[in-house]
Amino acid sequence: MAKLTNYVMLLPGLITCLVFLIVPLAMIVSMSFSTYATTSVSRSAAGALTFENYVKFFTSPQTPTILFNTFGMAVLTCFMVFIFAYPMAYILNFNIKSNIVRNYTLWFLTVPFLIDWTIRTVAWIPILGESGIINYILMSLRITSRPLTELLFTRYTLMIIWLQTYVLFMMFPITLALQRIDPDLIAAAKVLKAPPWRVFYDIIFKLSLPGVVTGFIFVFVSILGDFITPGLWAGGLQTMGLSIAWYSGHFVWPYAAALSTILLAISLVVLYVLLKVVDIKKLIYE
Amino acid sequence: MADKMVTSKDLVKWYGKSVLALNKVTFEINEGDFFVLIGPSGCGKSTLLKVMSGILDYDEGQLFIKGAEMKKVPPHKRDVSLMLENYALFPHMNVFNNVAFGLKMLGKDASEIQREVKESLELVGLGGFEKRSPLELSGGQRQRVALARALVIKPSVLLLDEPLSHVDYILQRKLMEDLKNLHKKLGNTFVLTTHVQEHGLSLADTMMVMNTGVIEQIGRPDQIYSNPRTVFAARFVGDINLFSGEVTSRQGDTYFVKTEWGELQASSSKEGPDMVGKKLAYGIRPKAIKVNDEALSSANQFKSKFSGYYYFGDAVECLFEIVQGVTVKASLAPEAVSNLKPGESYTIGWNPADAKLIEKPSVVEGLNIEEVIYGK
Amino acid sequence: MYMKLREIIARLYLAFMMAFIWLPIAFMILLSFKTGGNVSFPIEGFTLDWYGAKPKGYEYISYVSVLYDSAFWEALQNSALVSAAVGAITCLIVTATALALRHRVVGRDVLFYLILLGFIVPGVSLGLGHVLMYKQLDLEFTFWSAVAVDLVFTVPFGLVLMMARFDPDLMLYEQAASVLRSSPSSVFRRVTMPLIKWEILTAGVLGFVLSWSELVRTSFVMKGTGVLATYIFNQMQINPVTPKWYAAGTIIASVSFVGLILVGYIMSRTAK
Repeated sequence: MAKLTNYVMLLPGLITCLVFLIVPLAMIVSMSFSTYATTSVSRSAAGALTFENYVKFFTSPQTPTILFNTFGMAVLTCFMVFIFAYPMAYILNFNIKSNIVRNYTLWFLTVPFLIDWTIRTVAWIPILGESGIINYILMSLRITSRPLTELLFTRYTLMIIWLQTYVLFMMFPITLALQRIDPDLIAAAKVLKAPPWRVFYDIIFKLSLPGVVTGFIFVFVSILGDFITPGLWAGGLQTMGLSIAWYSGHFVWPYAAALSTILLAISLVVLYVLLKVVDIKKLIYE
Repeated sequence: MADKMVTSKDLVKWYGKSVLALNKVTFEINEGDFFVLIGPSGCGKSTLLKVMSGILDYDEGQLFIKGAEMKKVPPHKRDVSLMLENYALFPHMNVFNNVAFGLKMLGKDASEIQREVKESLELVGLGGFEKRSPLELSGGQRQRVALARALVIKPSVLLLDEPLSHVDYILQRKLMEDLKNLHKKLGNTFVLTTHVQEHGLSLADTMMVMNTGVIEQIGRPDQIYSNPRTVFAARFVGDINLFSGEVTSRQGDTYFVKTEWGELQASSSKEGPDMVGKKLAYGIRPKAIKVNDEALSSANQFKSKFSGYYYFGDAVECLFEIVQGVTVKASLAPEAVSNLKPGESYTIGWNPADAKLIEKPSVVEGLNIEEVIYGK
Repeated sequence: MYMKLREIIARLYLAFMMAFIWLPIAFMILLSFKTGGNVSFPIEGFTLDWYGAKPKGYEYISYVSVLYDSAFWEALQNSALVSAAVGAITCLIVTATALALRHRVVGRDVLFYLILLGFIVPGVSLGLGHVLMYKQLDLEFTFWSAVAVDLVFTVPFGLVLMMARFDPDLMLYEQAASVLRSSPSSVFRRVTMPLIKWEILTAGVLGFVLSWSELVRTSFVMKGTGVLATYIFNQMQINPVTPKWYAAGTIIASVSFVGLILVGYIMSRTAK
């Protein structure tokens, strides 16, 4: 194929990327340097460059809590999702021999993800709520004498809901990576006197890392940007996402922009670190 | 059984419900032997290696290595090493770590590993390659790393699955030499598979010919070459002309065999049953066939048309058509061929003593002689 | 059929996780049929009212059955259109980009990471950025603004999936065809397309599926009733939660179900 055709084919992707990704991001970054009080969107009208938004954020007493809520929860949840998702991917790949069963299982697992967000999370009320099924079971079995109210509207609710929401997104890239492992490598390791747990750790796990990292990145980023689930469920828990949504809703663009930029910057740092550990390109085009 | 390294009794292995890969395979391998398994693709040689190494389990029968039964023994507990056909080098480790892997699994300490890996790499001619990535290496280099990796753990039995198959001719010769030297030097038991009979003939102390899950013949290469016990073995080991026929009579030391196109003579041995009346295959090696003047003194003589030839450098394979559809291959020196003109008629002949009479088509049941001669 | 203990535990775990993932949905479907205004247990009776009962005069949205909730259907229609558009466009962009990225073009890695960036940017940040952009250019939010914001996110996803599933021999087939004097467009039509048509379709369906339940980014750029996700979210903020919303969810789920049957069919056709 002529070289030119290739470049032409790349144009749609490039344009989409530039217009809908780079420009908005540029605007956010530039907006973040406008004074707090302005409600205008245009940079030029907003006056001189200022760091006051950033200063405001970093000196606010709530900031450490917010940062912890946002990033701490995200990291914690990521690990939790990983712990549940990896065995799923592994079992799906190595313990289920029949292709048909595997495909149906994957399909079956994917269906819940097409259901609208809000409803999906609202559907937890009958499970975790005071008159919900878990309390019902616990009370019937006399494990607790009164209904637990802590199941709903706390951090833990958030983690459970996020687990349900994201476990599949972690599982898919891991499954992809596991599928690509040459079975001969496993045979070779066994013959080279590796006991089963070392075959797993040294060969299977290490070779599946690109998939793990991809999963981590996706789940981490999704959680960071998710202000809806904490908004609905975490009671008073404040995250950066919520802050951004609030300030945007009240048209305080510069501050919202600054928060967004910080969020973005930290995401990029995490991404960079993870990519240093594992080269994702190997999973995709080498 | 104590001095046999590997013993197999009636080994059976199924793939799924319909494919019988190993059909009551029984053999023994002596300690320190260079044992070569030859056979066409799909005959079960790779399967047998995988079963011996423990990667695949067998369904029936018994397998003993160093006297111990291997039924429930996983690969990492057997004193066996395997080099796979596609080498399976770990892509996420460099050469050093690949070779060191087995030693690490065995719990050797770091300084010992350093030493042994270095030694092993030098043994295969890759000293200094420690830091390279497998992805940067050529096919031949990768193979040597795989070999070093399999050898460094000093297994009692080293299994090599088609090591000569994906390598060019010169490298093949070099590798065969290296393997022979390594074997002499180290003294472990080597088991190698190949589908090229020349490899078997030159490398083996003991050779085993396999065919769709059964053993056609086991023995020293020269034994199998001079006394093939089945038509299949005759065809697979060394080149041979084969004709199906029936022994009509015997006079003194000579059998007379009637084929579709003529009567052939073969020597009989003093011992052995009387072959008169038997339907069998008559075989004569291309090297044993003489042309022109030399043929005139042979008991078997036929007029034939020189129909074509293949030049092999130090020998020429000539085709002589006796009648329509019946061609005899003769292997002649280039000087002898220079006098012959294609299309002309010449006499070819051979000594009855060089002929082989083989009764059994194959160990595989239900095949007749014609099927095995012309290949199913 | 005798299975070792390890196998049994493995299957149990998988079954447990599947139940966990399905739990809320199962309850949603179950409780969409219950009588009474709250969404929790106990269940007193079963009814189809939440699905199709006639409204008895003016009622809060939460008490209007799904069938008669015109805003709901409007939102559903919007969702379908937006997601269809996203699916189609994603499919085109992803295919073109994936095919082109196989060759060594200048800035190949850079472009790849740039596209991947769309995946990494937190939804809130992106949403805000789009809002700023529209305000700056003094544009209204429309159908296409939702499409645009979803694309940023579906394209990288589809791209990664498509490239990961590309047959490494594809380029060889193309070269073989051009050696046989096939023109580039012909090569594309006769060799490339047939070989990757399932991947293209999967990318399109994936784009549809991802945008269907996309809420965070879309919530910034919708106006009016909006897409299903935003509609329901907005309603939930101000209205009590009743089984009506479960009924709505069940309906949405069945629509999605059909979509997934398609994907399941494609996957079984191209099982590797």
